[in-house]
Amino acid sequence: MIEPDDRQIRQALRQLFPPVNTELHRDLWPAVLRKLDARPVPMPWYDWALIGLSASVFLFFPQLILVFAYHL
Amino acid sequence: MDLLRRFALGEIDAFETLVRQFQGDIYAWIVRIVRDPGIAEDLTVETLWRIYRARQQFRPDRNFGAWARRIATNLALDHLRRKRPEQRLVAEPAADSQPDHLLQRETGEKIQQAFRRLPAKLQVATMLALVEERPYNEIADALGTSAGAVKLRVFRAVRILRKQLIHLGVRPE
Repeated sequence: MIEPDDRQIRQALRQLFPPVNTELHRDLWPAVLRKLDARPVPMPWYDWALIGLSASVFLFFPQLILVFAYHL
Repeated sequence: MDLLRRFALGEIDAFETLVRQFQGDIYAWIVRIVRDPGIAEDLTVETLWRIYRARQQFRPDRNFGAWARRIATNLALDHLRRKRPEQRLVAEPAADSQPDHLLQRETGEKIQQAFRRLPAKLQVATMLALVEERPYNEIADALGTSAGAVKLRVFRAVRILRKQLIHLGVRPE
């Protein structure tokens, strides 16, 4: 699947993105704890809109459930 | 009761143990995608927060690391989608006025520009497969797809990159 030109692109990308340091230098637990304390869990309005829209579509076109299930 | 079961039930001590155990792996995975340590730390915290929120959906017989990695990948993808394509991904090299270096730098910028214009899913698959050389199965697991689909994404990305680079008048050395 990889042609000679593709190998050049792969090489160019490797040069462009040098290895990153993947080591984590601090404990993130305090930040996670702060976030857990600070944020409630609200459901955004667009999630509700999406649920409503999907429910209406499936109600009026039940055959789409099969199409949807096939693509899952 | 084992750790994962206690976490699924919402025990904060169990979650703390899991955070300490997996935060390094999650961070390493995210930083490979976003290439910025500061952003990777923020996304790791967000991932861990989402993991706790979604604890009731977690089945204790599943692999916690793989589940966490999938949540982290989705967050990194969202980050790449929000990010402007013009934004630089790597640090600026030191100024150099030699014509060869200027040309190399310009070519590098064009390749980076073309890479940033790729759809986020293609960027992630390409970065992890070609630059980081992660196994296709591992990438597929994190993206919630098959290894074949990942290979196809990488193939598509390389084809798009090649076309864009030709359009920009760049031929990779």
